[in-house]
Amino acid sequence: MAVRILLVDDHPIVRQGLRTLLEGRAGWEVVGEASDGVEALDKVESLQPDVVVLDITMPRMNGLEACRLIQQKPKASSLEVLVVTQHDSPQMMREALDAGARGYVVKSNAARDLLEAVEAVSQHRLFTAMARPPQASC
Amino acid sequence: MKLRILLADDHEIVRRGLCALLQKHEGWEVCGEASDGREAVEMAKQLKPDVVIVDIGMPHLNGLDTTRQLLQHDPNFKVIVLTITDSDQIIREALDAGARGFVLKSDAARDLVSAVEALQSKRMFFTPRVNDLVLAGFLEKGHAISRNEPPNLPTLTAREREVTQLLAEGKSSKEVATVLNLSTKTVETHRSNIMRKLSLHSIRDLVVYAIKNNIIQIQMPPQIQRPTETTVA
Repeated sequence: MAVRILLVDDHPIVRQGLRTLLEGRAGWEVVGEASDGVEALDKVESLQPDVVVLDITMPRMNGLEACRLIQQKPKASSLEVLVVTQHDSPQMMREALDAGARGYVVKSNAARDLLEAVEAVSQHRLFTAMARPPQASC
Repeated sequence: MKLRILLADDHEIVRRGLCALLQKHEGWEVCGEASDGREAVEMAKQLKPDVVIVDIGMPHLNGLDTTRQLLQHDPNFKVIVLTITDSDQIIREALDAGARGFVLKSDAARDLVSAVEALQSKRMFFTPRVNDLVLAGFLEKGHAISRNEPPNLPTLTAREREVTQLLAEGKSSKEVATVLNLSTKTVETHRSNIMRKLSLHSIRDLVVYAIKNNIIQIQMPPQIQRPTETTVA
């Protein structure tokens, strides 16, 4: 299934890591990147992705606020937000889901959980995973 | 011959990003990846990389102590420190530890290649802010690189700093003993010495000390914002 993905994180190196991982999946396309919530709102409008992979702690506008505002966009009904964050806390996960996110992944385990999470949320299924022990990468 | 680079960062997604960035450069290869400082030290001893890139905020052994241990083992190791903050204290400690490069994580995509190239050419690489601080210290003819001198704290040994980090991360004396391959009794002796030297009275005090002195780093959650009345068209 083709999935158009927007990456939102203030660290380019993290976006690069996410991109490397996601572009390995046939049919998935990273259509754009944003470095904060404000830029994310603009790119949601112009690029119309299926899934927004969204960090929480960012300058200008954090991911929770951006997530709430994305939900208010007229064309947001088919779009899903997957939060990928350093915050390994049930309270933050609840906040993210309350803000309208469909998925929640902890950054320390993003490499393991991300593909499964994007697949789930792109099919409008809930995906949540807290931290598990880390693994090696490239 | 290829330049061999060892990466140490506890986030696999960051290591993937760093790998992708570094491996685009002809003549460089990532020869190993470590997910904490202790693993980085062991891998560096085995792999003997030309450059080691270490994140500061790693579990079990932070990047500053990793740098110290690497250079204690072999002063020829070339270490680049990756950090999320360039506070005076972090800069001072990174320089004291012997790092030859200092790169902000937020600028890694832009600066890291330049930093590795600098070390490859036997030069150093620092952010403009580090350069300013070093220059300010030189102009003041002082020994410090910053106007804000840290308080004169009793010096912990390398082992005591390791024990402090592991205790501050929430490990019991028994767990610390397992990680460091020591007896529980030895760890408890270190613990008593640390508390006495620093005049601390509880584990809570120890955690506060560890945070203030960059032995562990914590990520503050954003201030929770309730839904606004704003409507986005």
